[in-house]
Amino acid sequence: MENIDPDIPQPVEADATNPVSADAVPPVTKENEPRVVLTDADAKDGLAKCARCGATEIALNVATGMLRCGFCRFEWTADNAMEAFNLNGDISGLTGIVVGSGSSDIVPTTEEVLTFKCSACGAEVVIDTNHSTQARCHWCRNTLSMNQQVDNGAVPDMILPFSVEKSTAVERIAKFVGKRKFFAHPTFRAEFNAENVMGVYLPYMVVDINAHARLSGQGEHQTRSYTVKVGDKDQTRYDADLYDVVREFDMHVNDLTVESSSDRIDQNTSQNSNNIINTIMPFDVENSVRYDSNYLAGFTSERRDSNLDQLSPIAHTQAEDVARHRVNSTLTFYDRGVRWSEEEVDVRGQRWVSAYLPVWLYSYQQRKSNGKTFLHYVAVNARTGETMGSVPLHQSKLLLVSGIVQLVGTVVGLVLVAVGI
Amino acid sequence: MSTAAGQIFAASSSDGDGGGFGFVFLLSGFLFYGAIYLRYRNVDKRHKHESETQATLQNVQEHDAFVTSKKGLTNRSMSGANNTAVRGMLRKFF
Ligand SMILES: [Zn+2]
Ligand SMILES: [Zn+2]
Repeated sequence: MENIDPDIPQPVEADATNPVSADAVPPVTKENEPRVVLTDADAKDGLAKCARCGATEIALNVATGMLRCGFCRFEWTADNAMEAFNLNGDISGLTGIVVGSGSSDIVPTTEEVLTFKCSACGAEVVIDTNHSTQARCHWCRNTLSMNQQVDNGAVPDMILPFSVEKSTAVERIAKFVGKRKFFAHPTFRAEFNAENVMGVYLPYMVVDINAHARLSGQGEHQTRSYTVKVGDKDQTRYDADLYDVVREFDMHVNDLTVESSSDRIDQNTSQNSNNIINTIMPFDVENSVRYDSNYLAGFTSERRDSNLDQLSPIAHTQAEDVARHRVNSTLTFYDRGVRWSEEEVDVRGQRWVSAYLPVWLYSYQQRKSNGKTFLHYVAVNARTGETMGSVPLHQSKLLLVSGIVQLVGTVVGLVLVAVGI
Repeated sequence: MSTAAGQIFAASSSDGDGGGFGFVFLLSGFLFYGAIYLRYRNVDKRHKHESETQATLQNVQEHDAFVTSKKGLTNRSMSGANNTAVRGMLRKFF
């Protein structure tokens, strides 16, 4: 192992409590259990060597999207995951549950890719110790130590390489925050440095769904609108025709993407700003490649800690949303809306694949006066460049200015009301 | 800020049928606070999975049957209409 950095935690030997599972053994499949597609046959620890010179110092070249040998500069790419695993096969023929082996229930393993629990913020961060990556927490930038290692999560089926370069992400973040300086908290303004952005692969499940849907209810079509006098005021009235409405159809949902880290699934905006990371979806997941840990070099990642049974309800509810939304194109006649009283979405087939998707993340831990902390993010989709963020507010300044606006508004409003506008 | 402020103005002015434009000014401080809060914190943002997920519909069958005509309704849209509802939101907001 070359380039050992004293700050970087090193892999430990396997022991009884940390067994090394060398082979990709799918879980036992009974009749009604998911069919597992082996996606990690030779990518388990991703120790692919350079095909030209045999070196193992390999990293993603973000500019080309290819893996690059640090010695001979040879560049290559892993197979497209969709083609390699036949994941873009016809959704209409999908039956039962098919899962990539990386999506099956998490079996604790210890490999070259290790998971650490951050002592500062409690996050679980995955580090590829084969590479001289920064062993720092991407949430709070605390340096991780090897004593904090925990069982690793499952290796994902596929990975979408970074294609937005760090310099671009820094620009986007600086621009986003630059537009939100005036009411930003003074401590944040003083400490903000867009260069502190980190590249993180976050875990998602990508789901294809073959469903049959039947929605029934009633819809209204406006036939007339007119004004009537009520007292001394004009009011609008509407006439409408009421119809019974039924829509029945087959639906093929492609690449529905859901967060698979339990921390990220919790999107209570009064307690976290995870909705920021959710907002920068979607990703072009169809360009994902077979998982190869060489893609992690220079980045950190987060482990998946949710299994299918935890994620199915949200994925199915979202598929129902897709159905409801899509069928609106057949309901334009009902210009007053449709009230569905029954919605049956029968999922006939589903295919689950676990993926690492790339995000540039600027995180900022705000220490509030009551002693609590709140984690703010500015996140950049490292494929599309879509940027969203949360900037801590200078509450007293905002309240002061709002008060002044209210004062002026009250005067103007009273005058307008008195005049009768 | 223009979009966030616009949403709030639109939202607040649409439900006050009988009020005048003057009442909007009486709320201006609260509206300003809300607009800035949303612009900085973006708690209202989320991935719009219902429209941003690829999906195709096939073999669409439509059954529509006239029931009755209604006269003199006061609402601009059907009461209880839920064809644009979104239930799979991860965020908990409001
Ligand atoms: Zn080489
Ligand atoms: Zn941390």
